[in-house]
Amino acid sequence: MNAPTNGNGRIEVMNVTKKFRDTTAVANLSLNIDHGSYCCLLGPSGCGKTTILRMIAGHESPSSGDVRIGGQSVVGLDPVQRGTAMMFQSYALFPHRSVIENVGFALKMRGASKDERNGKARELLQKVHMEKFANRLPAELSGGQQQRVALARALITNPRVLLLDEPLSALDEYLRLRMRGELRRVQKELGITFIHVTHTQLEAIAVADVVVVMTQGRIEQAATARDIYTAPRSAYVARFIGGQNVLTGVVEGVAGGLATVRNAEGARAQFPVDKANPAKGASLFAAIRRDRIHLTRNSTYRNGDELNAAVGIVHAIENQGTYVKVTLDLTTEEEFVAYMPDGEYFRDPIDIGDRVVARWDAQNLHLLEDASGGQQFAAADKDVALM
Amino acid sequence: MAMHDSGKRPWTFWFFAAFFVLFVIFLYGPMFVVYLLSFQGEGGGLTFPMNGVSTHWFGELVNPESRSGDIASSFQRSLGLGAMVAAITVFLSVAAGLGFRRRFLGSGVLFYIAIASLIMPGLFVGLGVNVFFSVLGWEPDWTTSGLGSQLTWTLPFGLLIMFAVLGRFNRSYEEAATDLGATPWQRLREVTLPILLPGIIGVALFGFTLSYDEFPRTVLTSGTENTLPITIWAMTTNVTSPALYALGTVTTLVSFAVVGTALGSIALISRRRRGGDST
Ligand SMILES: Nc1ncnc2c1ncn2[C@@H]1O[C@H](COP(=O)(O)OP(=O)(O)OP(=O)(O)O)[C@@H](O)[C@H]1O
Ligand SMILES: [Mg+2]
Repeated sequence: MNAPTNGNGRIEVMNVTKKFRDTTAVANLSLNIDHGSYCCLLGPSGCGKTTILRMIAGHESPSSGDVRIGGQSVVGLDPVQRGTAMMFQSYALFPHRSVIENVGFALKMRGASKDERNGKARELLQKVHMEKFANRLPAELSGGQQQRVALARALITNPRVLLLDEPLSALDEYLRLRMRGELRRVQKELGITFIHVTHTQLEAIAVADVVVVMTQGRIEQAATARDIYTAPRSAYVARFIGGQNVLTGVVEGVAGGLATVRNAEGARAQFPVDKANPAKGASLFAAIRRDRIHLTRNSTYRNGDELNAAVGIVHAIENQGTYVKVTLDLTTEEEFVAYMPDGEYFRDPIDIGDRVVARWDAQNLHLLEDASGGQQFAAADKDVALM
Repeated sequence: MAMHDSGKRPWTFWFFAAFFVLFVIFLYGPMFVVYLLSFQGEGGGLTFPMNGVSTHWFGELVNPESRSGDIASSFQRSLGLGAMVAAITVFLSVAAGLGFRRRFLGSGVLFYIAIASLIMPGLFVGLGVNVFFSVLGWEPDWTTSGLGSQLTWTLPFGLLIMFAVLGRFNRSYEEAATDLGATPWQRLREVTLPILLPGIIGVALFGFTLSYDEFPRTVLTSGTENTLPITIWAMTTNVTSPALYALGTVTTLVSFAVVGTALGSIALISRRRRGGDST
């Protein structure tokens, strides 16, 4: 598409609160998204992702606070005036209109002639490789095809911001992977801002420049996909994103930027604390990537024998193709998982029930700010393939 | 039914099959007697045996000299009244259905009051309307008092159907339209009404058929000119020829034609949307 998009798609959500009667869907939330970036909103069900999206789109208005696009407040404006377009979760393609009529709908509403509408619609259908299906009805398309049509329909107005509410959730695994790449390609090509709501950690990390992890109407962390994954701010984010084990214990002493921490089972580890000086007896949390753990069979090791190690019983083994996922029972509440490279694992396979020692390097530990949110998100074990 | 299967059918199949056949006989049996007798021979009477077969009595219906009264114009009146009732019922129940989607103060109470009016005895509704008109000194007529009392019957039904239809209507269609720049009017015309069309046809169908054979609410309110059911009622007391049965056959055909057209168009619309063989 050669037509310019309508200006700057920088988004500023400023101290926005949204209340529905007695529920607070969004609580005093602030978020800035640069023009032309791909942002994913990620979080458990009911945390307010859709509500934020709808407030940016103009389908919902904030109870308090301000939403700005391109530096101007858009509260009270309708979607067209905002220069936003939304792709709905079920696509909401009009069932009584053909593909080309669906795509040209926005132009029809503006009074464009039929030739103009169809010409532009065809151009967009070509962009999403759907020109062959122009005269079909939505019901005659597969899920992936419907998704492409919905994308073309949303883009026909040259929006500066495209809002996508779980755009891939209705597709099967294979199409999901393909379409997310497609979305990213289109976003790069157009250079506009995409905000994409998803439940899936992998999806967010795969496509987004910026990942926003939310919980209960608040932002837990907003950072680049890489930072979210390698440097989660809190135990909540670490557990939610997965790929990390969360360690916890009380401080025994601090020396040289390392705090020695002892957990309830007597295992001891060094947490990097930089210049902070946590008090003796304080509880600390840290995360360690699951692919940074080494396992050795050992029947005599006792917790506390070494630093940066813990003993446990192998509880489950899953071959993931390029690596093997070994789950240990450390008798702590937290699940503890190691990803072993397949070569290393198959040289001397360990078995369920084996007693093993997990060892790691203190500098691979990443100190977490707090343990907030840990209780509400129990099912933290979402595997993230390592890149 | 495929015969070779019969040995494998459980007894419950035969039980329910027999039950269903009885049910159909129960539904259509009485009318079937009427249809049969409407082809009574010229010299035949109101009851069996058939005295030959003829279409004489159908001719009698349109014969102005016959005793069967003003059937043709009653029939026209009923068609016209049915169409008016259907149109008004569609307009009001679609509007009310769309309005009720937004909860407002007293919306629940209003809904139940509207629906509860269905249990009011029809004859007394007609009586009430009649008394009301005479208090105001108005002349009852099928286009005014008749129409009004029939609407008390069709509107709650129309509203109920619209509630069912709108309950399955996905609001994101409307949001998508707004998102694409449709004004509220454009949204209604281009998206909401076309998507709801099969349901709206259903409401119209209900409005028409309820009106077409409405008796209790109409008998006291139709004024000096009668609708078809009232004419038929009058005939049963003073016409003693099989022309009565012929009339029954004709009105049934009209009903089937109306229902068939409505259901046919609904089926056509939904087949097109579900994806027929069009490309
Ligand atoms: N129209 C509404 N009326 C009342 N409450 C609402 C409404 N919309 C959302 N909520 C509430 O606000 C909260 C946030 O909802 P929201 O739809 O934003 O969640 P979400 O993060 O998109 O969840 P999901 O992942 O399940 O789609 C929920 O508790 C929800 O029940
Ligand atoms: Mg949602």
